[in-house]
Amino acid sequence: MRTIKILMGLACLVAVVGIGFIAWTVLGRDPIHFAKGPRVTLAAYTGPSVTGAPPDLAHADLVMRGEYLTRAADCQACHTTDGGVPFAGGRAFKLPFGTLFSPNITPDQATGIGAWSDAEFLRAVHKGVGRGGKPLYPAFPYAAYTLLTDDDVLAIKAYLFSVKPIHAVAPENTLVFPFNQRLLMTVWSAMFDADTRFEPVADRAPEWNRGAYLVEAAGHCGECHSPRNLFQAIDNRKKFAGAVADGWRAYNISSDKPTGIGSWSEAQLASYLTNGHAAGRGSPAGPMREAVDMSLAHLTPGDVKAVVAYLRTVPPIADPALPATLAGPAPASAAKGPDGNPHGKALFAGACASCHDWTGSGALTANATLTGARAVNDPSAVNVVQMILTGNHDLVGKTQAYMPAFGPAYTDLEVADLANYVTARFGTAGRPIGPADVARFRQLR
Amino acid sequence: MQTLHINGDTHQLDVPADMPLLWVLRDVLKMTGTKFGCGIAQCGACTVQLDGKPARSCMLPVGSLGDQAVTTIEAIGATPEGARIQKAWLKAEVVQCGYCQSGQIMSATALLKAVPKPADADIDAAMAGNICRCGTYIRIREAIKQAAQS
Repeated sequence: MRTIKILMGLACLVAVVGIGFIAWTVLGRDPIHFAKGPRVTLAAYTGPSVTGAPPDLAHADLVMRGEYLTRAADCQACHTTDGGVPFAGGRAFKLPFGTLFSPNITPDQATGIGAWSDAEFLRAVHKGVGRGGKPLYPAFPYAAYTLLTDDDVLAIKAYLFSVKPIHAVAPENTLVFPFNQRLLMTVWSAMFDADTRFEPVADRAPEWNRGAYLVEAAGHCGECHSPRNLFQAIDNRKKFAGAVADGWRAYNISSDKPTGIGSWSEAQLASYLTNGHAAGRGSPAGPMREAVDMSLAHLTPGDVKAVVAYLRTVPPIADPALPATLAGPAPASAAKGPDGNPHGKALFAGACASCHDWTGSGALTANATLTGARAVNDPSAVNVVQMILTGNHDLVGKTQAYMPAFGPAYTDLEVADLANYVTARFGTAGRPIGPADVARFRQLR
Repeated sequence: MQTLHINGDTHQLDVPADMPLLWVLRDVLKMTGTKFGCGIAQCGACTVQLDGKPARSCMLPVGSLGDQAVTTIEAIGATPEGARIQKAWLKAEVVQCGYCQSGQIMSATALLKAVPKPADADIDAAMAGNICRCGTYIRIREAIKQAAQS
């Protein structure tokens, strides 16, 4: 009898701890919880509107406003294959448990969203439930988009319905059991999709609230820049502390001075987000290049200012994996600098020095500046390797930034030796990486 | 309108700021001594000098030049290092097909100016970005050493 009581007691304890843990996890889902202040509904918020297209587009028609919001929400990056027709879908997302493919969101009746009603579109974007009740995977960031107003979601729909319908069927997902059970996503949604529209913080300025709306509802920055919890939902207790996305490090964008963006000036942040380069800070590449070129570069100056104002207020969280200080310029002379890696140095001399210069300050344009860039100061060298493998190019042609991809030409050993030379010369070299590491990065692509 | 300082002359040119210098040289000014090779700063054929430093003109937007003085292969022989390099080039009979050679000479001249007595390692580091499909590298190295001693 006594044993049963003890066992029941233990079971209760386990249940309480388990429920407590889940509740604690779920409570971490509010992206602007850190702001603390009183929340009001949009209707009750006094001051200029913080949602919708910016005042610059006040007289634009619905489709134009929708285009702006579609860019702000960066729908194109995920719903387009490399070099493919925008919004026609089919882009692969390689996950540890299989590959997901983004669907076609052009207005094609049979294969796109051409037959979707407004209510169906709203349900998908706010609740993660597709046509016919199909639960959607949260690779589609509906837990962020749920904050978008109905008007804004329908403006996006109006824009998407204005593009040319493309007949394209995305490949079948290849997720393994149990992740191929879509119904499980219903549980996930119940836990992590608040299914509420954006509620401004009453005692914050309209600019801050506008920034919060752009960053959290539309821009879904946390999807890459925030760590995830046990359930693969965003952990807003570690908001913007940095994470790995698509094989690249999405660096800390909290207001931490040494390892986040706390020491960046307003001008540097605005320039990085819209021009694809910030003096002394480097240039975006990989998934962030897409975010800049397809989304952020199209925001109005007022909206960029709002984004920057909001980002500034995110509490600092230090990233212990990053050095507190960034390395300065390397010596101008090729004869000086790190020894012991002649292979890496020879590769750098032949393929890299003509654009990056031996100093790292960029021989031709500022875009090629390595000095001060987080990537070369990251001891893991993840983004340096990715950059060597895939190169970089400005997709919208604002800066003419271009770097060829060396992945197809170089062996894993060559990429590793070159990456080790780059981090040693221009940054804070950590443990040198080897060919096996490079092979692993290639697999991610 | 862009103001460019090339080989001692000042040019006022109605070209876009993002046009690569190589295009301006070859297509607008008809100075065809500088060659187009790869177009992505990987081969060195288009090398010119900016204030004496080698630069790949194919990836260099003219709008970013500012007041820097551009020197091309057409005028490099008028500099002391350029004259010595060209003389050594002829003596060592470096050139085979010749396509890459204006770029090679621009890089070699810049090296000689920065490092008057270059060691093999200096030559390797400075010339590694200039590719020669005829394989004249050994004669290039020899000619640079001759020019350094002349």
